[in-house]
Amino acid sequence: MLAYFLRRLAGTIPVLIAVSVLVFGFVRMLPGDPARLVAGPDASESDVQAVRLDMGLDRPIYWQYVRYVGDIVQGNLGRSSRTRQPVSYEIGQRFMPTFWLTLAAMGWAIVAGMGIGVLSGVKRGRWQDQGGMVLAVSGLSFPPFWLGLLLIDMFSVRLGWLPTGGYESAASIVMPSFTLGLGVAAVLARFTRSAFVEVASEDYVRTARAKGLPERRVVWTHTLRNALIPVITMTGLQFGFLLGGAVVVETVFAWPGLGRLLVDSISFRDYPVIQAEILLFSLEFILINLAVDLLYAVVNPEIRLR
Amino acid sequence: MQIPRRIFIGSSLALAAATAARPSHAAGNSDLTVGVPTNLTGLDPADVNDTLSQSACRLMMQGLYGFDKDMNLIPVLAESYTASEDAKEFTFKLRTGISFHDGAPFDAAAVKANFDRVTDPANHLKRTSLYEMIDHTDVVDPTTVRFVLKNPFGAFVPTIAHPAGMQISPKAIQQYGKEISRNPVGTGPFKFVSWSADTLKVTKNDKYWKPNLPQLASVTFRSVPENGARLAMLQAGEAQFIYPMPPEMIKAVEHNANITVNNAPSIYERYVAMNVMKHPYDDLRVRQALNYAVDKAAFAKVVWNGYEDPADSPIPPHLAFHVAQQPWPYDPAKAKQLLKDAGVGDGFDTEIWANTVTISLRAMQFLQQQLAAVGIRVKVTPLEAGLLGSKIFAVQRPADSDLELYTGAWSSSTGDADWGLRPLFGSQAFPPKLFNVGYYSNKSLDEKLAAALATADSNKRAALYADAQKLIWNDAPWIFLGVDRNLSAQSKKLNGLYMIPDGGLLIEEAALTA
Repeated sequence: MLAYFLRRLAGTIPVLIAVSVLVFGFVRMLPGDPARLVAGPDASESDVQAVRLDMGLDRPIYWQYVRYVGDIVQGNLGRSSRTRQPVSYEIGQRFMPTFWLTLAAMGWAIVAGMGIGVLSGVKRGRWQDQGGMVLAVSGLSFPPFWLGLLLIDMFSVRLGWLPTGGYESAASIVMPSFTLGLGVAAVLARFTRSAFVEVASEDYVRTARAKGLPERRVVWTHTLRNALIPVITMTGLQFGFLLGGAVVVETVFAWPGLGRLLVDSISFRDYPVIQAEILLFSLEFILINLAVDLLYAVVNPEIRLR
Repeated sequence: MQIPRRIFIGSSLALAAATAARPSHAAGNSDLTVGVPTNLTGLDPADVNDTLSQSACRLMMQGLYGFDKDMNLIPVLAESYTASEDAKEFTFKLRTGISFHDGAPFDAAAVKANFDRVTDPANHLKRTSLYEMIDHTDVVDPTTVRFVLKNPFGAFVPTIAHPAGMQISPKAIQQYGKEISRNPVGTGPFKFVSWSADTLKVTKNDKYWKPNLPQLASVTFRSVPENGARLAMLQAGEAQFIYPMPPEMIKAVEHNANITVNNAPSIYERYVAMNVMKHPYDDLRVRQALNYAVDKAAFAKVVWNGYEDPADSPIPPHLAFHVAQQPWPYDPAKAKQLLKDAGVGDGFDTEIWANTVTISLRAMQFLQQQLAAVGIRVKVTPLEAGLLGSKIFAVQRPADSDLELYTGAWSSSTGDADWGLRPLFGSQAFPPKLFNVGYYSNKSLDEKLAAALATADSNKRAALYADAQKLIWNDAPWIFLGVDRNLSAQSKKLNGLYMIPDGGLLIEEAALTA
């Protein structure tokens, strides 16, 4: 198990190198001169030139890549060309808000989504199933910014219970995490239900029932355990997506997360920040995939990791 | 020049229905929270170029000269100035007894240190070019400082009053170097406390040099990008001042007993530049026709919900030396006749560019409809900021420009006619140097602009700029559209906070009542 873990971890290195080359190339293929955007709309040509020199954009592209990789290896992600602060600082102060938001959103979404999914699967075709799926489809169809504004109007402006936004107190996370988690809960509910229904029609479930096992054991041990495998995969993917930031929710609730930072950085062609954020997201996905694989073995001990 | 972002305008109407305001998370009685649209980019006045960051700097720092709430030039850290006849030497007498927040004295040596820093290209500061006319700065005595310029520059005092000329403690510059942007130290009414991702906090400067000011204990800037959410902050009592106030949401709070909407003049002038090097815009009659073909009153109503004034000069009324011109009336029949005379009576195909902000899209669609009525078929092309830069402002030679029509806005951040005219109409201002994107060129205008810079005599400058405005107005290199209003909203408990026409905030005298 440990050897497997270490081998997988080592395997991330070539992936990250490949990502670094790709993202380095891609940001430079974007049209637009980063120096001009950083210098601002009423900058003169000499201001733009000063910024260009400062960012090293006058050097050949291979020189820029070598410098970029060299810096990364030394743990230096460079400086944001927009704010001139270290990239690690820019990303650092937005990582925790995104992390907490993701955790809160995923937390309730997993409980609610899987709960509704299992209930719908067990009570297939009955009113519980239909009610659960109506909820799930509504959750998926609700535009998050619309929902966010409705929540603000209700709970901040009319009732005065929760702050409109920001990253100030524990109460600030309630509305953004609800808004962000709704779509995930809906996806998980539908996914859990279909996985559950599929497994429930397997031979071994019928056998379990035929040999007289109590219904509770049939549901929990035989059906749910096996149905969980694809659900875990899906949960991991959603987790990864949310860790990449949630632009709409961050915008509506003034949440200082990574999504808005990425969008702002792209519109300013802030190469160092874009590159570092994409690298971070890749690393997050790799780690989540690894965690998902390990979880398979926990849920179903018949899966052996080698 | 920073155009306020308006995101999700349509969708935010949901909130516009909200009426009841209930203070819930309001801070103490003398703590002010201001809801702003974007994040700050820095707090080093010599290295920022957006109005919001400049407003934030103004909380903590001050210049030798500055602007009052009506954009009049006033002495701040200086008492007075004298200029040499040839506008090449400017001597400032400084106020005495003022210290920076870190205890360092404000004196002529501090002023020299600040301007030596911003004028040194090796520091890579974004505002270096603003002060490139300075040859060197002399300390005459501790309370007298003299600027010697490379060439005559009559608009020097407004340039000193520009937010980029605000003074930082030389001790702090030494101590923090490049990190000064995160550790600002000035002479202003408030002292820096913290700046994290999107919240800036400052606290009262107890040793402020103006008596009985400031009245507030603290000020917080919070960036809330979504229009509806920002308004909700005000409705919920979390903020006492927000801007911009989206024009389409004003109706929703008009009758709110706790909220006032402020509608103040700005110096943002909106225009359509025509590429005068391209057919048919090289023909004066065509440019005149376009000015007759666009109904400016309708533009204000349709695009800005009525919150826009018609333009009456190439520069807006709140800029120094503005002179109103005879308006171009809405007259489509005359426009058609002029097009016919110019040999394009059957109309022509053209393309208009602008950025992707909602209001620009609305403006382009409006212009498309107006020009269609006189037979001009306009293709609307919004360009993302990076593309806009490379397709318009970075073009190396006039002949390489694909620009036909471009609509944008300009604000002269020095409050002076020079920076309102020269960068947009001068022959030396073609991209990539400056912003004369239509490549308009008029020798007589160039001479007047140069002469106005060669003297510090206000009367002479006024006469020259009056001629310059008339020349441009008649040559019509632009469709002169309008001048924006600064819309903001505030709690009725707040007074003394002003949004000045350049979009900056003056918070020094602000106070909150119970």
